[in-house]
Amino acid sequence: MTRDPGEKIDHKAILEARLSARIGRRSFLKVAGAGALASAGFGLTPDIARADQAGHIRIASLSHIDTLDPHFTFFLGAVQIINNIHNGLLKVTFDGEAVKFEPDLAASWDLEDDKTHLFKLHEGVKFHDGTALDAEAVKFSLMRVKSGTPASPHAWKLELLDEIEIVDPLTIRLKFSKPYAFLPVALTGSTGRAGTIVSPAAVEKYGMDYGRNPVGTGPFKFVSWRDNDSIALEANPDYFEAGMPKLAKASFMLINEPSTAVAALVSGQIEGMNDCPLQLVNQVKQVPTINLYGGVEGNYTYVGMNTRKAPFDDINLRRAVAYAIDRDAVVKQGYFGLAQQAFSPISPPMTGFYDPDIAESGRGQRFDLEKAKEFRAKATNQDEIEVTYIMTEDGPGGTRVAQTLAPMLAEIGIKVKLELLEPAAWVKRMKDGEFEILDFRWWADLDPEETLYPEFKSGGSWNYWGWENAEFDRLCIEAGATIDQEKRAALYREAEDHLMDEAPVAMLAHIPVYKAFAKKVEGFQYVPADLVNLHSVSIG
Amino acid sequence: MLAQAAGKIAQTLVVLLIVSIASFSLLKLAPGDPVLLMLGSEFDQASYDSLNKALGLDQPVVVQYLEWLGSFVTGDWGISYVGRADIFNLVVREALPVTLTLTACSLGLAILIGVPVGVLSAVKKDTIWDAAAAVFALTGTAFPSFFLGILLIWIMGVQFGAFPVMGFVPPWEDFWAGLYHLVLPSITLSTFFIGMIVRVTRAALVEVLDQPYITAAKARGEPGWRVVWVHGVRNIMMPIVTVIGLQLGGILQGAVLTETVFSMPGIGQMLTNAVLGREYMLVQAGVMLTAVLFILVNLLVDLSYPFLDPRLRPR
Repeated sequence: MTRDPGEKIDHKAILEARLSARIGRRSFLKVAGAGALASAGFGLTPDIARADQAGHIRIASLSHIDTLDPHFTFFLGAVQIINNIHNGLLKVTFDGEAVKFEPDLAASWDLEDDKTHLFKLHEGVKFHDGTALDAEAVKFSLMRVKSGTPASPHAWKLELLDEIEIVDPLTIRLKFSKPYAFLPVALTGSTGRAGTIVSPAAVEKYGMDYGRNPVGTGPFKFVSWRDNDSIALEANPDYFEAGMPKLAKASFMLINEPSTAVAALVSGQIEGMNDCPLQLVNQVKQVPTINLYGGVEGNYTYVGMNTRKAPFDDINLRRAVAYAIDRDAVVKQGYFGLAQQAFSPISPPMTGFYDPDIAESGRGQRFDLEKAKEFRAKATNQDEIEVTYIMTEDGPGGTRVAQTLAPMLAEIGIKVKLELLEPAAWVKRMKDGEFEILDFRWWADLDPEETLYPEFKSGGSWNYWGWENAEFDRLCIEAGATIDQEKRAALYREAEDHLMDEAPVAMLAHIPVYKAFAKKVEGFQYVPADLVNLHSVSIG
Repeated sequence: MLAQAAGKIAQTLVVLLIVSIASFSLLKLAPGDPVLLMLGSEFDQASYDSLNKALGLDQPVVVQYLEWLGSFVTGDWGISYVGRADIFNLVVREALPVTLTLTACSLGLAILIGVPVGVLSAVKKDTIWDAAAAVFALTGTAFPSFFLGILLIWIMGVQFGAFPVMGFVPPWEDFWAGLYHLVLPSITLSTFFIGMIVRVTRAALVEVLDQPYITAAKARGEPGWRVVWVHGVRNIMMPIVTVIGLQLGGILQGAVLTETVFSMPGIGQMLTNAVLGREYMLVQAGVMLTAVLFILVNLLVDLSYPFLDPRLRPR
């Protein structure tokens, strides 16, 4: 499942971070302009009249749903539903090749200088409660994230936001204390979530209970939430994007057991699944009435080593581990042959940042037993080393990865003792630094910032490995304030090289994420950010 | 008789108190701080403290327990931390009826099938019928309900498309649809139970059929069905009721798995999700409710003995 045990799945939401890039102000404007044009185009050629909403789609939601409050949820499964009820200032799009960030509630997005962003909002957009979407509402939502009480887990994404200026009711200017390359991701309503716009009136009315009574501007209105049963939505006939939505109703069926969901899908009791776990993918592919959508998304799995204590405080031993792992075998045995080998953290869908030549260039980590043995020979401890590997039955590989790795580590004189823990206990051990080695995964927003920096910055709360490298920190900070995409990408690659060389972690794979729909479901637009956007979906 | 009942009820209350202390402490000891869970990773101490206080988690554990107990008894079960669900409403009004319906259907099915098969087995003792019943009972008891559920889903639901494979429709809203949705889960949950009842019925009835009053009834020329079903079965009610009472705990346990496999919003699935989401208040309420149910059933079984067996009535 795409869910971390315990804390924070949240930032891991996978985004397609893209736009920021496109180098400098000019192309920034070009892309923003293209987005505005695209929306205008929609307005001119509505393919379906507004009153034509029909059909009821039922989608199995296999993930835990904690709350439907976009600013507080920790679960991607909740984001998938939230994203059908709300819009962000920006949204993620995918044309089959590249991911882009385009204006959503914003009609246009301008960069006045590298620290000042100007957004013009669409006219006449209304929240589901009838109140108007205006600059005040945008400011309210951003401030709720930045400094609301209780504090939103996304507050850090707007930390650099200095000032919000309401120019006129439909124009808002955001000033940042320094150039902020991650902003496009942060402002989407999907994975970044800091830019999701909620109805101020509804927040006022429901307070802490907003998460059970969400009111947005999205294509679907919230109807009901029966715990452990289903969450029901209905079409918003006044949705601002013409021709959407096409469905009259959508229900997310809260199902825990994936094989039940597959059975329900095959027998026609439901029409879709928000996630098809890897172990079922090959089986589902055989079913002629089902379409699978998916691909490698912005994530990576890895072996993490505790650099604060023996034996993995020894850099040569860690390097030996990084070279000793046969990633092909891990992909085949751990991930049913569906994943893609990872040489470094930056994932393939992060177009412009992912290094397409990485397999040949020699950058990053890879399997090379000779090299592993060379480094092993340089390690301080030349005796057989016994380590405890803590594992838990969770994540895409479960305990299969650990079992696949044990014999590989034995090859370089590391004897692994596997210890199986309950997920919460496992997370606690990891956070408290009470481990030697383990495997974990990171579901990242589709931007190298969130892929690298929070996880590996010195002293960071997600840096469970205790790794510290001032040069890595410096490079990431500089990249975070660099808008020019090529320069930014180069900085991240350099940072990544430090990380891969010192090997607090040994990369394993990039994992594909799948959605399944019955063949009669049409118009689903796949975005490699683990979204289930129903805007353009219809049932034939 | 009343004194006896009052004594049993008092015992029950003490047991419940112990259960509540045990479950409360267990949840306090479990890893995972709800405040951390709600705040994520990047936050300052002030917001931690304020949320901690708002949730009442800054109080000493004993105070927290007493406050919780006070409000629990008065029916104010609070709101879940993250999901903001009204706990009493969710547990008692939404989840409980589902589990009770499922349990009642499975129990009914188990009795309807288990007792006649047990009777057949006892009456036809040492014949092929008896052996077949024994195999049936053993298989039922030994078959893991999780696996059986998935098998039924694939064969009955997917291959033949005869029954819905998931979900719950309240029978009090739509009786036939409700029943239709309950068929596969009830079969799944009752198989273990059927085996149990078959074996107990057989053992008890074999013994009863040797009794002089059975011989006397036969001698009076009463028809065979009357001998078995009236004189025989009436006298094995006690062991059957006892077994049902004792196994009801097992059925609640089985309901967790069955509800998960068939995706029914009952207590079992609620508990699983509450544990996953670290909704401690919800887990606590669910555990207490399960304990109350279990103890209540045992109490009822105890109290029913005098009605089933006049010899146990105090004179």
